[in-house]
Amino acid sequence: MNNIFEDRKAKVETYKKDIRGKKEKLFKVDIPEGLFVKCEKCNEHIFREDLSTNHYVCLKCRSHFRISARERIKMITDIDSFYELFSNLKTLNPLNFPNYEEKIKQYQVQTNELDAFISGVATLGGEMVAIGVMDSFFMMGSMGSVVGEKVTRLVEYATEKRLPLVIFAASGGARMQEGIFSLMQMAKTSAVCQHHNEAGLLYISVLTNPTTGGVAASFASLGDIIIAEKGALIGFAGQRVIKQTIGEELPENFQTAEFQFKKGFVDMVVDRKDLKKTLVKLLQLHKKAELR
Amino acid sequence: MMQNKILIANRGEIALRIIRACKELGIGCVAIYSNSDENSLHVKFADEAICVGPAHASESYLNMNNIISAAVSTGCNAIHPGYGFLAENDKFATIVEKCNLKFIGPTSDAMAKLGNKSMARRIAKEVDIPIVEGSDGPVEDLAAAITVAKHIGYPILIKAVSGGGGKGISIIKNEEELVRLFDLTRHEAEANFGNSQVYIEKYIENPRHIEVQIIADAYGNMVHLGERDCSIQRRNQKMIEEAPSPFVNEKLRGMLGAAAVRLARAVGYQNIGTVEFLVDKDGNYYFMEVNARIQVEHPVTEMVTGVDLVKEQIRIAYRSELPFRQEDVNLSGHALECRLNAEDPSLNFRPAPGLIRNVVLPGGPGVRLDTHIYNNYEVPPYYDSLLVKLITYAPTRKETIRKMRVALEQLIVDGVKTNIEILYLIMHNTNFVRGVYDTGFVRDFLETIKGE
Repeated sequence: MNNIFEDRKAKVETYKKDIRGKKEKLFKVDIPEGLFVKCEKCNEHIFREDLSTNHYVCLKCRSHFRISARERIKMITDIDSFYELFSNLKTLNPLNFPNYEEKIKQYQVQTNELDAFISGVATLGGEMVAIGVMDSFFMMGSMGSVVGEKVTRLVEYATEKRLPLVIFAASGGARMQEGIFSLMQMAKTSAVCQHHNEAGLLYISVLTNPTTGGVAASFASLGDIIIAEKGALIGFAGQRVIKQTIGEELPENFQTAEFQFKKGFVDMVVDRKDLKKTLVKLLQLHKKAELR
Repeated sequence: MMQNKILIANRGEIALRIIRACKELGIGCVAIYSNSDENSLHVKFADEAICVGPAHASESYLNMNNIISAAVSTGCNAIHPGYGFLAENDKFATIVEKCNLKFIGPTSDAMAKLGNKSMARRIAKEVDIPIVEGSDGPVEDLAAAITVAKHIGYPILIKAVSGGGGKGISIIKNEEELVRLFDLTRHEAEANFGNSQVYIEKYIENPRHIEVQIIADAYGNMVHLGERDCSIQRRNQKMIEEAPSPFVNEKLRGMLGAAAVRLARAVGYQNIGTVEFLVDKDGNYYFMEVNARIQVEHPVTEMVTGVDLVKEQIRIAYRSELPFRQEDVNLSGHALECRLNAEDPSLNFRPAPGLIRNVVLPGGPGVRLDTHIYNNYEVPPYYDSLLVKLITYAPTRKETIRKMRVALEQLIVDGVKTNIEILYLIMHNTNFVRGVYDTGFVRDFLETIKGE
């Protein structure tokens, strides 16, 4: 049956070629750069506007895209409620590490931030909190003196003002270029978290993709409540290093948020779209308990 | 010279209709299809065809990314959405525009405004087009109900918020009845649906569904092409359409046309569109909605105006000026369209897909067929069940009906169940022949033939 269509089409084509002969050029369609974003997990092309209205979560496979600290603050805090603190701290090069200043400069231009941590106060569902967010787009959110100092000051501020504390971690770990100064930040930030704790105040730590190394091994793991964002990689050392060291195959889903939840390292795994709701609920419950 | 080329983001008879328009205009055309439509005529007759996904529409004919990729990879510079699927999806129109392709239809902005029902109603009100007024939400007590009723005028309907299927509705003709029945209706609603909330809406007696075709270019020229009467419908599914409406006189036609153009102007409408009205027995009209696309029943307007709507759509999208003005539009003759569907009237019109073994098509002067079926064509179960649009055209309504009867007699579709007998019987129904019908016609008609 279908041959009759093929036959006719072939015949029409030959007639057309004989009669018209010439072949016309086609327009080239110019799709503007950046109109679509490709999901790294499932390769789906997503219309950029859809991505931002969907909390930067893939519409098809629901994998969570990395987002900047500013975007996170916009997503989590009440509109226009964020007031930034300690924004004047700038990174130096204490060890005269080669090319470090240039690298910092480059990231500052790219991200429009001075370093990888933004701190301040804001309201969440009307509740006042001290809030800090790491930016994984700034040198993989690594912790040097400035990040450590800003975390410390934020926690001290929260302790002094008796505010609950919310910190979003996203980090590759301590910053190599600052060597021992970076490692020192682990102890310093842990110590102030303990002060905040002793004052009977609430600290909610939110682990986002990725939370590893010195950050995972210090303040990020010290929350009274530890929330992991869905799909986040959470761990201390990298998978390859562990594999080579212990000489064993690693379990499936190793170091994912869901894996860490099963093992008891985090208290809950929350989808990005539910994160604000969850935080507000926890803050309100805590306040009620405190009033009692 | 650069060659325009259009991707047709649809299937079935409308895809074929658009292919014909493209070819007559000398524009290249690319068909898209799903896995279950490989043997469809639109695939065979387009210059090129490209598969965009599996049978399920959500993965193929509604798959925006695949459709845009298909357009770009085949060198198209425009997309015609047809009707249904993505035709009135303003997000799709936005993406198409942003990809520097032409969307053959209104701008995404106008589409978004009209697609939002409450916004469309508000715009209509602003340009003095009556809408079916109501309480816009539940009415708390009798006093509030009386205020609303005074504002919109009797008769009114009291409807249960949770009601449905004709239950929980009272028709109220005056204030005395309202006082008597308001609380009763609320109690009934509470008893039947567990929710006593009711709202109020203007009651339109024996309404007719009358719609006006509009056409507008990118240079502010805006013209209406008269009306279509689509009152012969079953559960809001149109069955038979005609132009002009046997109910509409010259004066009402002028008013409806002017109202439609006012509304279109208010949103800067371009391309073609349809403004739907409900018209009561006294000729009062109420705006319902705008269909921002080509419609299934567009051929009846084409027959009485001589305008090729699909070609005009394409010309307008490529920024040609409208070749005629309002005073050039002359309606002449009468046109009827019957929709033949693959459905089983004895099983409550359930879709009846399957293999069509044999087709015999009618012909002769004034008979037009828009269809994609052929011998041994398998009707897939995934999409709507429209098989054939049979259109007849003659100088008078009576002659058009006679022509339709003959054409239906000579139309044979063998292999699947269809609604052809219902159509044939309606063509002989006294009220239909007299042109006296409203949107309740099919319901009443099916009731009377039930026992026979």
